[in-house]
Amino acid sequence: MDRKKIVLAEDNSTLSLLLKFRLEKEGHELFMAADGKEALALIEEQLPDLIITDIMMPFISGLEVISHVRNKLELNVPIIVFSSAGQEEMVLKAFDLGANDFMGKPFSPNELVIRVKRQLN
Amino acid sequence: MDTSTVKIILQILHYLFFGYAFAAITSYIVLSILSGKETLKYLKKNSFVNYKDILSSTESPSITIIAPAYNESLNIVENVRSLLSNHYANYSVVIINDGSRDDSLEKLIESYDLEKIDYVVNEKLKTQPLRAGVFKSKNPAFEKLMVVDKENGGKADALNMGLNISKSKYVACIDVDCLLLEDALQKMIKPFLEVTDSKVIATGGVIRIANSCVIRGGKLIDVNLPKNLLVQSQILEYLRAFLLGRMAWSRLNGLLVISGAFGIFDKEIAIKVGGYDTNTVGEDMEIIVRMRRYMEEQGRKYKVSYIPDPLCWTEAPDTYKIFISQRNRWTRGTIETLKKHRKIGFNPKYGSFGLLSYPYWLIFERLAPIIEAVGIIYFTILVALKEVRWEFALTFLLLSYLFSVLFSIVAIYSEELTFHQYKKKGTGFKLVLLSALEPFVLHPFILYAAIRGNIDYYFNKKKKWGEMVRKGLSTVEA
Amino acid sequence: MIDFQILIDNFNEYPYLIKLAWVVSAILGALIILLTVYLKFVRTILRKKEANSLEFRKEYEALLIEYLYSGTEEGGISEIQKNIIEELKKHVTVKSKRKVIISVLYKLMNEVSGEVTDALKVLYKNTGLMHYALIKINSKKWHVKAKGIGELTKFKIESVQEKIEQLLVHPVREVRKEAHLYFVNLFYFEGLNFLDIIKTPLSEWDQIQILEILQKSNDQEICDIKPWLQSKNETVVLFALKLAKVYNQYEVKDELMNMLSHNSKQVRIQVIEVLTHLYGIEAKDVLKANFTQLSLEEQISFFGLLEKLVIPDDEPFVEKHLFHKDFEIQLLALKILKSINIDKYLGLNKLPPSQKSLAMLKLENV
Repeated sequence: MDRKKIVLAEDNSTLSLLLKFRLEKEGHELFMAADGKEALALIEEQLPDLIITDIMMPFISGLEVISHVRNKLELNVPIIVFSSAGQEEMVLKAFDLGANDFMGKPFSPNELVIRVKRQLN
Repeated sequence: MDTSTVKIILQILHYLFFGYAFAAITSYIVLSILSGKETLKYLKKNSFVNYKDILSSTESPSITIIAPAYNESLNIVENVRSLLSNHYANYSVVIINDGSRDDSLEKLIESYDLEKIDYVVNEKLKTQPLRAGVFKSKNPAFEKLMVVDKENGGKADALNMGLNISKSKYVACIDVDCLLLEDALQKMIKPFLEVTDSKVIATGGVIRIANSCVIRGGKLIDVNLPKNLLVQSQILEYLRAFLLGRMAWSRLNGLLVISGAFGIFDKEIAIKVGGYDTNTVGEDMEIIVRMRRYMEEQGRKYKVSYIPDPLCWTEAPDTYKIFISQRNRWTRGTIETLKKHRKIGFNPKYGSFGLLSYPYWLIFERLAPIIEAVGIIYFTILVALKEVRWEFALTFLLLSYLFSVLFSIVAIYSEELTFHQYKKKGTGFKLVLLSALEPFVLHPFILYAAIRGNIDYYFNKKKKWGEMVRKGLSTVEA
Repeated sequence: MIDFQILIDNFNEYPYLIKLAWVVSAILGALIILLTVYLKFVRTILRKKEANSLEFRKEYEALLIEYLYSGTEEGGISEIQKNIIEELKKHVTVKSKRKVIISVLYKLMNEVSGEVTDALKVLYKNTGLMHYALIKINSKKWHVKAKGIGELTKFKIESVQEKIEQLLVHPVREVRKEAHLYFVNLFYFEGLNFLDIIKTPLSEWDQIQILEILQKSNDQEICDIKPWLQSKNETVVLFALKLAKVYNQYEVKDELMNMLSHNSKQVRIQVIEVLTHLYGIEAKDVLKANFTQLSLEEQISFFGLLEKLVIPDDEPFVEKHLFHKDFEIQLLALKILKSINIDKYLGLNKLPPSQKSLAMLKLENV
């Protein structure tokens, strides 16, 4: 499998570290953002093959990241969002804005790997 | 009058002054002890709370943030963004553009893709009419946001419009230029939800001073002690007021003020009592007193809660001119509120509200500057007449000075052992030094402003509200 | 040089009050100096603690990630994992380090599930962290007790069930609440049995938390909520109503109909709202018949129900209340009329302004 660029926006440091290792093990190149603003900067700079973002993030929310990618940058890159339970409305909005897949927290990292694979193919 | 009568009168006067000072000092000591107890309890209680479930639950009660804005064009876009990024599932933000004469509205429309919507305002509270109307965003990412453009009517009027518009159970009334930390709503809503044996009618938050702090992207990145002596002194003053004063009053359920910069209210009660009073400059204090009064008169058990976490950061005046006009306004607000509700004072029908909170506020807040001014005048006369017994005067001056320094130091300790926001090396010493300086650099101006406030209130009724010239928070941005 | 004797003599000649004031001043002064020096000490310690915990956090995060990625394929514990556990065992004896480890684990447990949490649980038990939690729940201090229960809940330790069962009716609210949450977190609906026995109120905050946990679980097989609807504890009734709504409990509709005459107003209002959600058209006739006796809040709730479940037959009733004294009801009545009989609605426009309701006038201005 070829090496894909992934931007991962998540404000929980341990989780993002865990996912970083997990996805790097799959052979991908990871760019980490701790909030929405960093994520947008990384996306514009790296033009990744996949974006994974948490919905609830400081300052610029995941929803805004999606909106910016689809409407301002006009990119078709697949986007996976994380959400906490009880944010069904947010998830609907995320899909509305153009997210491709979502995972509710807490989730299993193995499942994420499978979903990432599916989005990249 | 013979000299012996004069002497007796003088003697009585001395004892009155002395008694007043003694009572004030005793009350400070009692309040410190109470606040210590309450803080400890609060910290224990919060050492294991899981806020996560509440913030994500759609069953959590709805909150509307009401933020009046008047000519805030400079920072409005940034400020709204920060309000939109609070971590709570069920909330909305209503910006009331109170007849601004700048391009606030245009900027908001442009930045947030706003469009005008049809909206029927249920006019439970009388307010100035809408101007351009009600706006919502076309972009689902900003679905929480609503902007209401109305004719100018002042802060209280704008807040009333917000109360009319809100569909939520609770409303958070804030100053638009405040920086709310992202967990502010979850923490502030907790008291409403956890009390079962009485009704929480409002919860107040702490106001912290944001001058010189680094704020980036609506987030507080770094807390600094400002260089400006006036602002520094106010930091100390706020620590004392919030960490010692309000904490203690909250234990006694005797809070009379919720800072206008950040408080959450039960909307139903707020509307029932008639909303904010548009005829006072102290609408934030007045509405709490009125809500309490209403609950007392209804014979319902109620509570005004208080959360000491540093959740709301705002910019304090950094010139003496603005500072004095701010305090002048506060003084007039206090006078108006106490006067309007004087029925409560010393009235056993109102329980501890009438017998403790109100009298304390009247005697030690409202009258303090007047008594102090009278004291100074009296002392000057004695000096002129060479009647001063210097050993007494100097001894008690020293004593009260040392006491005030110590009280400030206790406040510093209270901060260090709880929230510890000023972490930088050397700040501790600076704060102690400030405790020693503050009686000279801040107190005389507070006194002056309060006296001016009294004079303006009684002799200069038409005085326009001092408008606070604010420097934008984002000018701090590194 | 100053002659101290003169000073002392002077002092002795002063009145008692002044002497006392000087003594107090001296004490205050000494306190100020002492506290200033001590403040430096306190701040240094706090700073150090913070730096340490940051450093520990990084260290443990790395260690944990390594631990999670060195598991065997079959799910057993590998050599490397055993070594990491041994290493951590030494650290957990220090309270400050233990705190950091727990907080790192907590954060991760909140966000991941499946095989990772199982591995973390093994770590929690084998490093001895659990042992400390057990000490906590036996503590006499309520906040320590509550914290201990919270920890055991997070790591889903079933073996302490009996111990925690006793705490379900603990006199301190916080302890009680943590015990409730323990059972809900571990056994979901089956853990709700405490609702049968509690006489103390269940706060709104507790209710929301419990619902949230239930909704997060995979087990959505709800138990029978009827007994709770009939509970003497009003907060239990309110909670059961929330369950009825969230889990679409059509089977309790009859109970709900009976509850329209419940003693508590709050319950009645919520019943109307749940019935709205459950398409309880049966409620319409009952509420229409009693409409004038209802409180304003109930009336508004009922109009909310009508808004959703209206049929043309309701028209006379709605029309009757176009001029209700409450603005909100006027507005709802207009809205409902518009949806069932648009011609009549438009006809209202022709009324002279003096005969219009406030809501009609307002709507025109839009």
